[in-house]
Amino acid sequence: MDRLLEILREIDDTVDYEKETALIDDHILDSFGIITLIAEIEDAFDIEVEAAEMTPENFNSAQAMWRMIQRLQES
Amino acid sequence: MAIYMNVYLLLFLPLTLLVYGVAPREKRWLVLLCASWFMYATLSRWLLLLLIATEAWTWGMGLWLDRLRQQCEAQVGELKQSGISGAELRTARTECRQRFRTRRLRVLLLGILVLLGILFYVQYYNFAAQNLNSLLSRLSLKLPVVKVLFPMGISFYTLEAVGYLADIYWERLEADRHFGRLALFLSFFPQIMEGPIARYQDTADQLFSGEPLRMDSLNEGFLRILVGLFKKMVISDRLSYLVNPMFAEYQKYHGSLVVLMAVAYTVQLYCEFSGSIDIVIGSGRLFGIELPENFRQPFSAQSPAEFWRRWHMSLGTWFKNYVFYPVTTSSFVKNLNKTLRKKYKKHGKYISMAATSAAALLPVWLATGIWHGAGWQYVFYGLYYFVILLAGVLLESFKAWRNQRLHIPENAVWLRVLRTLKTWVIVFIGELFFNAKSLLAGFHMFFSIFEDFHISDIWLHLPPKITRGEIMVIIAGSILVWIAGFMKENGKDIRKGVLEAGFPVRWAAYYVLIFTILLFGAYGAGYQAVDLIYAGF
Repeated sequence: MDRLLEILREIDDTVDYEKETALIDDHILDSFGIITLIAEIEDAFDIEVEAAEMTPENFNSAQAMWRMIQRLQES
Repeated sequence: MAIYMNVYLLLFLPLTLLVYGVAPREKRWLVLLCASWFMYATLSRWLLLLLIATEAWTWGMGLWLDRLRQQCEAQVGELKQSGISGAELRTARTECRQRFRTRRLRVLLLGILVLLGILFYVQYYNFAAQNLNSLLSRLSLKLPVVKVLFPMGISFYTLEAVGYLADIYWERLEADRHFGRLALFLSFFPQIMEGPIARYQDTADQLFSGEPLRMDSLNEGFLRILVGLFKKMVISDRLSYLVNPMFAEYQKYHGSLVVLMAVAYTVQLYCEFSGSIDIVIGSGRLFGIELPENFRQPFSAQSPAEFWRRWHMSLGTWFKNYVFYPVTTSSFVKNLNKTLRKKYKKHGKYISMAATSAAALLPVWLATGIWHGAGWQYVFYGLYYFVILLAGVLLESFKAWRNQRLHIPENAVWLRVLRTLKTWVIVFIGELFFNAKSLLAGFHMFFSIFEDFHISDIWLHLPPKITRGEIMVIIAGSILVWIAGFMKENGKDIRKGVLEAGFPVRWAAYYVLIFTILLFGAYGAGYQAVDLIYAGF
């Protein structure tokens, strides 16, 4: 989780990722942020994020992203 | 019968509401479906059969995709019970899933190809044939140019159908076994002409549930329809008497008049499209249905990217979900990203972000341009925003550095105003090309801005059909719409306030709007009903 927070802060360090729950819905994380994020988390956690995973539910909060990462690591 | 016509507003809509209200709850979806198909038949006659065939195709392909998913799950379950375990089981399971995935992808592609094939044939065949013919003229090859009937709303319901199939493929939803529910989702009558483009998950169940009519929803819907009529009839339709003749004879205008054309068309398009969407969403609210919003004060945007998150939002969301994300997560873009990061160690992140953004944005903006119509001006319109948005991404770090160096506070009022004005200029130029007769006409108009720029020319050269009084009505109406938007942007929603204020204020608002539309709306003798702009796309 710490590594994920580190990646997110590298993209935008003005957001409180531990509390924010509408990163996509409120456009805090924009499409370009998403491109960078996917590349970073694929490298860092050795997973493959496919188009099917690209839903606000998976990216609205750091917690949701972490759940998705764990799920993809297990599958 | 279109949604702004008296026959829709005073006869069809109240009658449908009445039948819906007295019908038993479990049959109300049928009332909405019959009304939707009836309205479609009034718009496109026998092409209703094409709409129903498209709905049947989408329904069948969805069921096929779901069946393959179930077969895959059953086979994976059998593998678990077959006695194999550990790594052997994992490998067998992955192979089985991969096999079914390929089959499901083929079914999805077949489903989408047929849907988009019809759209392409209707919208773009002649455009493609004419361009290919001029390219291949030396080879004496000639594709025939055909007369094609245009099924109303095809650009909207096709995107909804493609989204539905893609979501089943990605296992975000299960295929609907009830044909009527899916057909109603794809053909709900207020939405069929101009959208908004909905997702099955968001509206299908609401449409099917047959909720009873409620006073608060009726009030909300009625007020929203009146607001939409105000925008369309008082501002947009009146503006068409200024905009249409000027764009038709664009060679006659230059300098300040071309600027006026660009600004006036943008206001006309916004009031027409957002006004129509108000009527659509209001019609849905009468039945207690919440359709997705399509506009969120777009002229408050501080960048072109933000503008597109506020303008035609349902189209933007569709392209993001079904084009941008699949391209971003495709192996091509991912490999490009990784290769560039490795190759350019020092600036790898920046270079890869620029390249992947370009690779992901190009198909989105090309498709956005082409979706609006068959013409090079639309291709240019898409590429115009592609270049501007990409430049915005690339200059992001420079802007942050500049603001830091010059000690410019990020939220300074003057900076916000400047950014908003810059966005307006970009939008006005885009709309000038968008409404041009051709790409060449677009460039002609754009360059003629810089010839003989005299503000005083505006009053002298206006088309004869529009009077100064009418221009005053348009300006006053536009200011009212802008104030309402500005207040909403700052947390004060006038419409919500009116609905919550109680009976006297609500009815006063209804009467004010009705009389304003009756007094200042462009209709009656001397006026022609103005078609919905987006219904032509």
